[in-house]
Amino acid sequence: MRTTGRPGAGGTHMGRRDFLAMAGLGSASVLVSGCGFGGGGGGAPKGALRAAFGQPVTDLDPYNAATAVDEASLIVKRLVFDTLVRRQGDRLVPGLASGWERTNDTTWVFTLRRGARFHDGTPVTAADVAACLKRTRAVASAQTPLWASVTKAEARDDHTVVFTTDGPLGSLPVNLTLLFVVPAARVADPEQKRRPIGSGPFRVTGFTPSTSVELARFDDYWGGRSDLPGISMPYIAETSSAITALRTGDIDLLWPIPPDQLPEVTGVKGVTVEPVPSWTYYLNWFNCSRAPFTDANVRRAMCQAVNLPQIVDRLFGRGGQQMRAPIPATVAGYAAQEPWTYDPAAAKRLLAAAGLGRGFTTSMMWFDATGPLSRELAEAMISSWADIGVTVRPQSIEKAQWLERLNSLDWDMNLQTNTVTTGDAAFTVGRLYTSKAHRMGYKNPALDQLLARAAAAPSGSERDGLYGEACKIIWSDAVGLFPLTLVTGYGRSSRLTGFTPAPNNQPDLAAVRRR
Amino acid sequence: MGAFVAKRLGQAVIVAWGALTLVFIIVRVVPGDPAKLILGPDASADQLKHVRSDFGLDHPLWRQYLEHLGGVLHGDLGDSWRLGGSALGDTLERFPATLTLSLVALVLTILLGFPLGMLCARRPGKVLDLLVSTGSLVGQAVPSFWLGIVLILLFARELGWLPATADGSLAGVLLPAFTLALPFIGWLARLVRNGALEEGAKDYVRTARAKGVPEGLVQYVHVGRNIAVPVVTVLGLLMGNFIANAVIIEVVFSWPGIGSLMVDAITNRDYAVVEAAVLTMTVSYIALNLLVDVVYFALDPRLTPENA
Repeated sequence: MRTTGRPGAGGTHMGRRDFLAMAGLGSASVLVSGCGFGGGGGGAPKGALRAAFGQPVTDLDPYNAATAVDEASLIVKRLVFDTLVRRQGDRLVPGLASGWERTNDTTWVFTLRRGARFHDGTPVTAADVAACLKRTRAVASAQTPLWASVTKAEARDDHTVVFTTDGPLGSLPVNLTLLFVVPAARVADPEQKRRPIGSGPFRVTGFTPSTSVELARFDDYWGGRSDLPGISMPYIAETSSAITALRTGDIDLLWPIPPDQLPEVTGVKGVTVEPVPSWTYYLNWFNCSRAPFTDANVRRAMCQAVNLPQIVDRLFGRGGQQMRAPIPATVAGYAAQEPWTYDPAAAKRLLAAAGLGRGFTTSMMWFDATGPLSRELAEAMISSWADIGVTVRPQSIEKAQWLERLNSLDWDMNLQTNTVTTGDAAFTVGRLYTSKAHRMGYKNPALDQLLARAAAAPSGSERDGLYGEACKIIWSDAVGLFPLTLVTGYGRSSRLTGFTPAPNNQPDLAAVRRR
Repeated sequence: MGAFVAKRLGQAVIVAWGALTLVFIIVRVVPGDPAKLILGPDASADQLKHVRSDFGLDHPLWRQYLEHLGGVLHGDLGDSWRLGGSALGDTLERFPATLTLSLVALVLTILLGFPLGMLCARRPGKVLDLLVSTGSLVGQAVPSFWLGIVLILLFARELGWLPATADGSLAGVLLPAFTLALPFIGWLARLVRNGALEEGAKDYVRTARAKGVPEGLVQYVHVGRNIAVPVVTVLGLLMGNFIANAVIIEVVFSWPGIGSLMVDAITNRDYAVVEAAVLTMTVSYIALNLLVDVVYFALDPRLTPENA
C-alpha cells in the first residue's frame, strides 16, 4: 500500500503490485486456515487407537431407522452406549443390568447396575430404559420385528425395569443387546445424531459423517477405565489406501480385509492377521412368487447347477466358507443341512420335469457394495446356470434402486449379503422367512407355526431344535441359494493386546491395549 | 469497474439458478426413494408416507421446486435427512478441506508447471520439451483415481514418504494434491512455453538482452509478466477444475471434503446435501471467474472493463 500524491485520492491507493500481494496473502491465509480441516469438532486424544472399518459411520443416533442394524454405526454405538445385556463370545452377560429373571411367561425383570452414569453426569435409571424401549418401538426399522411382541417396559423403581410381552419371548435377552440406553430426555433429540450422550466407556469428541469418528475415554465409566485414552475411527474407502495405512502403521486395526487382499497383509512385519468366520453371509433369494421360481423343483435345479465348493474356493479362498444352512455355522439355532450336490444333469432333469427342458431366461439383481467380490460371485453363478440352459441377465444396480425393487419384489433373483446382527437365528430366520414378512414371496404356514413356536421358546436345546427344523425347510425348499459365509480378516498392529476378533464385525475395542 | 462487476454478478445469479434447477431435476429423476433409504426395507407404508410428508416429497414436483427456490433465497437449502443438520451448514463445514486441497494443488501446479514451461521455451524441440509435451498428454489421459492409487502404492507403501490417507497433517495433503495437480502441470508448462516463445521473439525482449539483462531476469520478469494474463485465465479455470475433480480424489484419499460428502449424498439420495454441494461448487466457480476478471486489470493496466 502506498500513499499517492494524486489530488483527491484520499491518501491511499491500492496499486497492481499491492493488489497481487494482497491476493497472494489472502490465498495463503485461506490455505493455512484450511489446514485445520475436519469439520466435525475435536479429535481423539494423543495415543488413541486408530481403527478403520470397511464401511462409513453415517450417524450415531441409536434410534435412527436407517442405521438400526448398520455394522459401522453399531461398532461406535457399542463404545458410546450401554445395553442391558451384552454378548461375550457365545454367552450373554450382564451389561447395564446386573441381573434378570423371567418371572412368568410374559414378564421379565431386569435389575440395573448402581453407579452407572451418562456422559453428562446424570445417573442411568430404569425410566431411561423404559423411554428407550418406547422410542425404539415407535421407529420402524430392521429391529421392529424384534420388539413387536414387547408391549411395554415399566420402571418399578430407579433400578428395576419390568418388560412385559404379549406372549412368551425367549429371545428378549439377546434382543436387548441392541437396545442402546440414552437419557430419557434425549431419546428423540436430533443432537444425538452428532454428539450423542450415552453411558458407554467412550464419549464422542468429534464426528464427521462418513469420514471419521473421534472418541475419548469416559473416566467415570462403571466398568472401569479403558487402557486406551481414545479411539479414532477414520473411514478409508479405497482398499489399497487402507491396506497401505495398516502396513505403514498409520492405522492400528483394519477390518474386514477383503478376501483377495489377505495376501497383501499376511506375513508383513508388525501386522497380525486374524481371520474369524463372521455372521455375514451371501444369499441368493429366488422370488418364490414369480414364475418359474414358484416351482420348488426349478429352485432346486438352480441350486444343483452351481459348483459352489469350486466357486467359493477359487474366488474367496480363506475369505469364505461354503454354507450348509441358511444361516452361518456360528449363529445360535444353526443346523447343518446336506449340501446341494453339483449335478448339472440332475438339474436339467428337474427343469425338464417342470416343463422347462429348453431352459428359460431370468435375471439377477445386486448392488456391488453389498459385499466383497459380489460381481465376480454373480458372474460365476450366472455362468454355471448357462450350462443348464438358463440365461440370467445380470442387473448390477445402485443401492437406492436395489432397495426400491427389493421391497416391491420386483426381481427374479436377488444376490446380497446379510448379517445375523444378534448372532441368533431369530434375527434372520424368524424375521425374514415368515409369510407375513413377504421378503422373497415364500409362503409356508407350517414354517410360520414353527417360527412362532421357536420365538416363544426359552433359549436352550428346544429352541435351537425348532430353528434347526426351520433351517431344514428353508434349505430343502430352496427358498434361496446360500453360497458362503464371509470370513472376516482382522489385520492389526502386532503391538496391540487384548483384542478379540468378533464374528459380528463389532469387536470390543474398549478392551484393547498397546504393548 | 463497478458496472462491470455488477453485470458479472447478474450473470452469476442466472448461472447459479440454472445449476440449481438442473440438479433439482436430475436428483429427482434418478430412481430410488429417499424414504425407503431412510427407513430401510422393514418400514411400513404408513411410516414411508410419514417420512415423505416430513420432507415434502409428497408434494407435486412444481411445488417442491418453488418451495426449494424460496428456501434458497432465504439461505435455507433444507435439512439433510441422513446427517440431521442443515445441508448448507454440513457442506460449508467441509468446504475448507476441499479448498485447502485445491489450493495446494494449484500451488504445486504453478511451482512446477511455470518453471518447466520456461525451461522448455529456452530449448524448444529438445529432450525436456518433448518429454513435457508427451507427459502433458499422458497426464491428462490417465484417470485420476488410478493415478491416486498408483501414487499411494509408490509414495506411501513402497517408499513410506507420505501417509496414504488424510491424517490431518501437512504431509497428508501432499499426495492427494499432487494427484490432483499432476495432469495439469504439463498442461500449464505447455501454455507457458508457447507464451514464452511468442513473447521471446518480441522487440522488448531483444532490447533487454542487448542491454545485458541476465537471461533469468529476462525470462521470469520481462517475459513472465507479459504471459501472465493467459496464465491467470487458465489458473482460474484450473482452480474450478480442482474443486470439481476433488470429488474422486477425496474418496480415494479419505479426504474429509465436500466431494466425499457429495458422493455419499448421491448414493443415499440426500437431495438437500447434493443441492447444497453443487450450489457451493457453482458459486465458488463463478467467484473464481470473477476474481480472474478483476485480476486481469491488476496485471495489465492497458485493460479496462470496456476493452477487456
